[in-house]
Amino acid sequence: MLLFRSEEHRDNWLSARGLSHGATLSVAQQWDLARIWYRDRISPEWRRRTPEEAQAVFESLGLTGPFWKLPG
Amino acid sequence: MVSTSPTLDDDVRVFVYRFMVDNRRPPMPVEIGSALGTGSAEVEAALKRLADAHVIVLAPGTPYIWLANPLSALPSPFPVTVGGRRYYGICIWDALGVIAMLGDEGSVTSLCPDCGDELTLRVREGRVEPSEYVVHYAIPAAHWWDDIGFN
Repeated sequence: MLLFRSEEHRDNWLSARGLSHGATLSVAQQWDLARIWYRDRISPEWRRRTPEEAQAVFESLGLTGPFWKLPG
Repeated sequence: MVSTSPTLDDDVRVFVYRFMVDNRRPPMPVEIGSALGTGSAEVEAALKRLADAHVIVLAPGTPYIWLANPLSALPSPFPVTVGGRRYYGICIWDALGVIAMLGDEGSVTSLCPDCGDELTLRVREGRVEPSEYVVHYAIPAAHWWDDIGFN
């Protein structure tokens, strides 16, 4: 997961390497995902999410489709 | 899903995270064992179970911690500053995750892989700025754990 100055810079970088586009998040989306994913990681009560719970996190942020499909 | 031994594994996990936050390096198994009153062999087994469950990542072929996500034991291109202290994440998701885990205030500095310009994201009062940068994911979610260091 890399941070680019803009979509144009992302496209330049992908094109120079012959890579195809994967998925792009806004900074706000990435921050929301980081908060939900990690905010309680240091807590004794933390439990690893099931694949279904993790998938629900993605869906709550609009991250849907084959790219975001986790293995069951 | 890989099962873990609830009490020891939970104790080891919490100790590892707190130690890494306080000391900015991972504890060795013998340090964990001393703190928890457990033998280092039992600690190494617990670390292996936590790694098998994708809770932490061990340096290949060793019982030593590489990642306790979002924290990286090694410097990376994603340095994070929280409360004047420097940490590292292995990607922008984890770098922001360090800030989220430690209180929602901090900054991440990386370089644009295309132009090399320094890009700094600042989180203040739970909001991240600037908003014009973008995050690209190259690997589909189903394959993130094929090679967790290459995402």
